[in-house]
Amino acid sequence: MKKFKKTMILGLVLLLIMTSLAACSSKSDDIVKVAVAAPLTGDYAEYGTGFKNAVELMAEEWNAKGGVLGKKIEIVLYDDKNNGEEAANIAEKIASDGSIVAVIGHFASGVCMAATPKYQEAGIINISPSASHPDFTKEGNYIFRNNTVISSEAKAAVEIAIDVLGKKKIGLLSVKTDWGTSTAAITKEIIAELGATLVDHQEVVDGTVDFSPNISKLNDAGAEVVIVAAMYNTLAPLATQYKAVNPNIQFVGFSNAYSQQLIDLAKENAEGIHFPAQFFDGSTDPKIANFVKNYESKYGAKPSSLTAQAYDSMGIILTAIEKAGTTDRAKVREEVEKINYNGVTGATTFNENRDSVRPFTIVKIENGNFVEVKK
Amino acid sequence: MGEINLILEQLINGLSLGMVYALIAVGYSLVFGILRLVNFSHGSVYAFGAHMTMMFISMKFGIVPAILASIILTGILGVLIDKASLEPLRKKGSKPIAALITTIGISYIIQNLLMIVFGSHTKHFPKLFDFGVVNILGATIGTTQIFIFLVSLILLFILTGIVRFTKIGLAMRAVEQNPKAAHLMGINVNRVITFTFFLGGASAAIAGSLISGYYQMVYAGMGFLAGMKAFSAAVLGGIGVLYGSIFGGLVVGVSETFAATYLGGSYRDAVAFLILILVLLVKPHGLFGKKGITKV
Repeated sequence: MKKFKKTMILGLVLLLIMTSLAACSSKSDDIVKVAVAAPLTGDYAEYGTGFKNAVELMAEEWNAKGGVLGKKIEIVLYDDKNNGEEAANIAEKIASDGSIVAVIGHFASGVCMAATPKYQEAGIINISPSASHPDFTKEGNYIFRNNTVISSEAKAAVEIAIDVLGKKKIGLLSVKTDWGTSTAAITKEIIAELGATLVDHQEVVDGTVDFSPNISKLNDAGAEVVIVAAMYNTLAPLATQYKAVNPNIQFVGFSNAYSQQLIDLAKENAEGIHFPAQFFDGSTDPKIANFVKNYESKYGAKPSSLTAQAYDSMGIILTAIEKAGTTDRAKVREEVEKINYNGVTGATTFNENRDSVRPFTIVKIENGNFVEVKK
Repeated sequence: MGEINLILEQLINGLSLGMVYALIAVGYSLVFGILRLVNFSHGSVYAFGAHMTMMFISMKFGIVPAILASIILTGILGVLIDKASLEPLRKKGSKPIAALITTIGISYIIQNLLMIVFGSHTKHFPKLFDFGVVNILGATIGTTQIFIFLVSLILLFILTGIVRFTKIGLAMRAVEQNPKAAHLMGINVNRVITFTFFLGGASAAIAGSLISGYYQMVYAGMGFLAGMKAFSAAVLGGIGVLYGSIFGGLVVGVSETFAATYLGGSYRDAVAFLILILVLLVKPHGLFGKKGITKV
């Protein structure tokens, strides 16, 4: 009798374990998992949170329509704190989790490139909505960039300085990061190509607060416009301090400084800063206006261009899954490669380097708002 | 424009940056003078002062009342730090290193509290003053910089005046020389220490408000690097000596600015510390420091 009881209990326990395992596996069959890896805390949390929000919004819209391939879409979040080591660890975790189809993210180019070798090796699609270092997609055929390459953006920035602002004496200020240094080098070449003069180039470390020595040098070199290869936390104090010395100075920023935070931080000194942009939230295009409205009502802030690129990245992945008719990563990858996706940032295709291709919009800050500059 | 103008401009950039370091540095010096303790929470107290001013200004206090309210509040924070953590340690007669580590801990507590309350992002700080630019000998100089330089100078004179010529200042100097003897002479040593911490906090609030008004931004971690440089300025000039802090601050500010100009932005932070090490090798007590008196 005692023996029978033991067997019964053992049997029951086994049954329990098996049913729970079965429940697990059947459940994960109905779910498509996409990871978002981005800085969710720290200095760059604004960007990472934007990624997360945008991707969640896109997933919700698809889920409301019944998901993808009839399966529910689930987002898995990873906080890389914009730190290369964290990113490499996260890539390791994602690679060991076979259920994740694709990864959207990593914010800074240097951080992205700490993680891409793992994604390529494991065959996981990685779309970064922000990486702009030329080498980022060279890692392999699973790595995509839904952001402009530095060279095309730098060209657009220099063109704004010369054609829109009509200035030929250009100063350049860049941050000493992977991205900043390579952007500065490319910008210099383009300035020379387009026949303008680079009067001075200043480099600062990220997090610099006092720009007075750099400003004195740029100003004495006779810069009429300064192209700033840095984020809003550099551009805002630079503009503030520069305008105290020379109120007529003009600035051209890059898309990663194009953020509401810039206006909040620099206030009246942000006036007149120009950007080449991939996405303009004040657009009258109904698709864009609708996205901006939904995003704003849900998160209480307007989406930035990087956020919009994250939103489109998710759209690209889901569309590719639908076209492939499977979540098999190799097949989805092929679909991503040949996609022609008409999203909120315009018609996006990927070129032979898996870099997205689409035209720029020119945006400037006027009366505390971003406005589109018609060419 | 000529090289001379650039040098002059950079010199003035460096001097106004240096004055700002000097204002923070006196906070280190004041406390060190009395307690022989390096108060590493001072950088965070400075960040706290800047945040308080920002908060009061956004509450429509007006600029001067906002700064005054911040000075008082930050001064009280200084006193609170001493009463809550350092005084109990002194009473127990614990080792100086315990107090030192405590101040580092407090520094992080304040910094994290600021992050929780105000958020971790960089925030806008309203402009306090703006009178445009002036041209001196062909060099373009922002009046804001001159203003900061002058206000800091006046404040440093006032602080030196308090220590040199007032009754409480006399008590401070007495405690500095020998706390036990001062106590025997009827000086309330604890009150002197409280006052010193208040003065340190108040000067940090002024420094925080001035600097934030100039750069027009505040963030929770702003005290770290500024605090380190101010500390090195204090040590450079001879910690515990107020005019030494001023001189040290100016040396650090000017050398940093020239390093940024001629060596590039990546070396600016290193140069200040390099100079500090060189000076300490030659003069271990700093430029104006008194030789350490071994107390028995």
